[in-house]
Amino acid sequence: MLRHGKGAVAPSRRRILGGAAGLAAAGATGPLVSGCGGPAKAEGGTLKFWHFYDSASSDPAMRGQAKWFDDVIRDWNATHDVKVEPFFVPGTSYQGSKMVTAFASGTGPDIFLLSPGDFLRYQNGGILADLTPHMDRAAVADYGTSLTSRVVEGKVYALPMEVEPLAIFYNVRNWEKAGLSEADIPTTWDGLLDAGDKLRAKGGGAGLVFETDPGYYQNFTWYCWMWQGGGDVLDKDGNVTFDSKAARQGLSLWQDAVRHGIAPRTKPAAGDQLSAFKAGQAGMWQSGIWMVNTFKVGAPELEYGVFKLPTPPGGRYSTAVGGWSFCASTQSSNPDAAAEFCGWALGRMNKKSVDRTVSWCTGVKSDVSPRASALKAATAKGGYDSWAMKKFKNEIFPGGRPEPRYPPVVYKAVSDAIQATMLGGKGVASEADRAAQTIEAYMKSYQGASLI
Amino acid sequence: MSSIATERQQAAAPPAAAEHPPRRRLSRKHREWIAAGLFLLPDGLGLSVFVILPMFFSIVLSFFQVSGFGSYEWIGLGNYERMFNDPYFWSSMWVTAKYVVIMVPVLFVVSLGLGILMKQKLPGMAVYRTALFMPYMLSLVVAGLLWKFMFDEQTGVANKIVGAFGISPQSWLGDPSLALYSVILVTVWYMMGYYMIIFLAGLNEIPKEYYEAAKIDGASPWTSFRKITWPLLRPTSFFVLIMTTVAAITGTFDLVYSLTAGGPANGTAVAMFYIYQQAFVFGEYGYASALGTFLVLIMVVLSWVIFKLTKGGRFDDGE
Repeated sequence: MLRHGKGAVAPSRRRILGGAAGLAAAGATGPLVSGCGGPAKAEGGTLKFWHFYDSASSDPAMRGQAKWFDDVIRDWNATHDVKVEPFFVPGTSYQGSKMVTAFASGTGPDIFLLSPGDFLRYQNGGILADLTPHMDRAAVADYGTSLTSRVVEGKVYALPMEVEPLAIFYNVRNWEKAGLSEADIPTTWDGLLDAGDKLRAKGGGAGLVFETDPGYYQNFTWYCWMWQGGGDVLDKDGNVTFDSKAARQGLSLWQDAVRHGIAPRTKPAAGDQLSAFKAGQAGMWQSGIWMVNTFKVGAPELEYGVFKLPTPPGGRYSTAVGGWSFCASTQSSNPDAAAEFCGWALGRMNKKSVDRTVSWCTGVKSDVSPRASALKAATAKGGYDSWAMKKFKNEIFPGGRPEPRYPPVVYKAVSDAIQATMLGGKGVASEADRAAQTIEAYMKSYQGASLI
Repeated sequence: MSSIATERQQAAAPPAAAEHPPRRRLSRKHREWIAAGLFLLPDGLGLSVFVILPMFFSIVLSFFQVSGFGSYEWIGLGNYERMFNDPYFWSSMWVTAKYVVIMVPVLFVVSLGLGILMKQKLPGMAVYRTALFMPYMLSLVVAGLLWKFMFDEQTGVANKIVGAFGISPQSWLGDPSLALYSVILVTVWYMMGYYMIIFLAGLNEIPKEYYEAAKIDGASPWTSFRKITWPLLRPTSFFVLIMTTVAAITGTFDLVYSLTAGGPANGTAVAMFYIYQQAFVFGEYGYASALGTFLVLIMVVLSWVIFKLTKGGRFDDGE
């Protein structure tokens, strides 16, 4: 049968209808099977950028942050042939099933945001495109240690837009009710538990709130307590060192806080720190710099304070530093353009690129800038003039250490140890030992990028 | 011209009736079959795309090691072998077993009790029925978030209620010895309205005359229930038992996710949650598929056991 040229056989009506039905079915089942419910991959010359900032949110801070993304994309589209389109994915499904199923079925986004805890999963899965060729060499140096956990074999695979150190926020109303003053701000773990105990007894709310739900975030908020005693999950050579005095000490701190009723077993106000502080339901809460903007927008009248994490006897101050990054997908139909977008947006030395970081970290949100030049520019513009931002920048951030990039099995072992000791009342020694053994067994067969 | 026109008319004329037998009309039975098929087609398509195909893919996937981002390696029964040596999975199966064994009978009894209560002709019953059914209209995640506030240690209504009885405040979702029961309580609250309606429909099928005859014979309400309601409700009970068992095993994920995230200390990490974690947190799609397939097998076995125990919902003893 001739297929080309004049002699081609004209298709029958039945064939045309059948073919159309087949195409429609294929078109419909593609996204259905992937579970995404919509096109995500580059179509034509358009790149999809998935983020979780809702432009229709009732929260004005969130709307402002969504607008920042729209502005970045608008600037790019004005000067480039390949267009970028924002695609909002609600936070819970963004970090849950949505993105992983999309990538697993080949319909993932071209550009997306990634947290450090998830970095290795995507890196080892071959999803992350190399951004280095699209960055200015000077910009790599400008980022400095902020890039450490996003680099594999000298190549940059994620560009951080923010740096978020953890500290303890306290509620001045509860603080005063408990008869505490600024002079009582604790500098040691014992002092922290004492203050928490007084707040619980007299402040009328939870004394000290630690994260209680198992997950990457809980691990992130706990690591710093272990680091303060000099402990770690893995040492510099990749050996498992979790079964240490420092890890047991860190687990004991959270266990004691819960056992003595100082820290609640579940977070007040279903985890909404703003509501809990407004209602006086919590005296202290371990949280991050992002709360500065949340309080500023959501409760400008609220009086609160913030102090750096206290240290154990003989320990050294440390805090965990998190933050999201721009990434490009190797699965994109145009990975080069997707990677170029990331480099163009945040990884150049020109004023616009630096200003984007400045406006994100000190305009629409409250963060420490991951770039030295942006930090300098933001400081010059008064972004860190408020007492809280100044404290974060000058006192809390300097002891910061990036959130580790452990694969899921390592995360789960640590998470189980935290949960079992904090809420299950199990012995810290046995749980630290069990977690160390699990990690050690896993590390024997682990293949992938370095965990350090 | 006219002769040509006549030839054309002749050519276009329908063939003589004698040459072609008349077209047979479809029988009524066939027409009904076609109509039924057309009505079932959309549902059948949905079932194929959303249930049968994914189930088939899941079974196939269970024989592969999947990296999570597109690489597949055939490992045969490797995932199943791993499953039998995975203490976390068996721990989650133990949590699931506790959940099923407690939740199913409680939900059954509460729904049946409510169904019987709602059948009574008392003023305002329509309002109560609607109120009891309302939770089922919510999404499980929303229900979970609502109860998260109600279980709040400081401000939650749950502690206010127990406080009225002189009981000290409890950590409903933070205490491993309480959390599973709290999740069961929310599940029963969420589902009882739906199964109440199912029981109500079953109760309405029982002819009134049976009760009237029993009353004339002097039977007590308990005897009427035992001799009339319970045996005649067997098909409904069978349906409810199967549905609640399957729901207890598979439908718990949303609640656990929104209420406790599997905590505290894995106390509410039911099998469905563990499978979710393996697939979407750890990216172990092949292993998660093997666990899912195993869970389906468990449900088939349980359904068979229930079928045998309730004699398939038949009224008689099947003799």
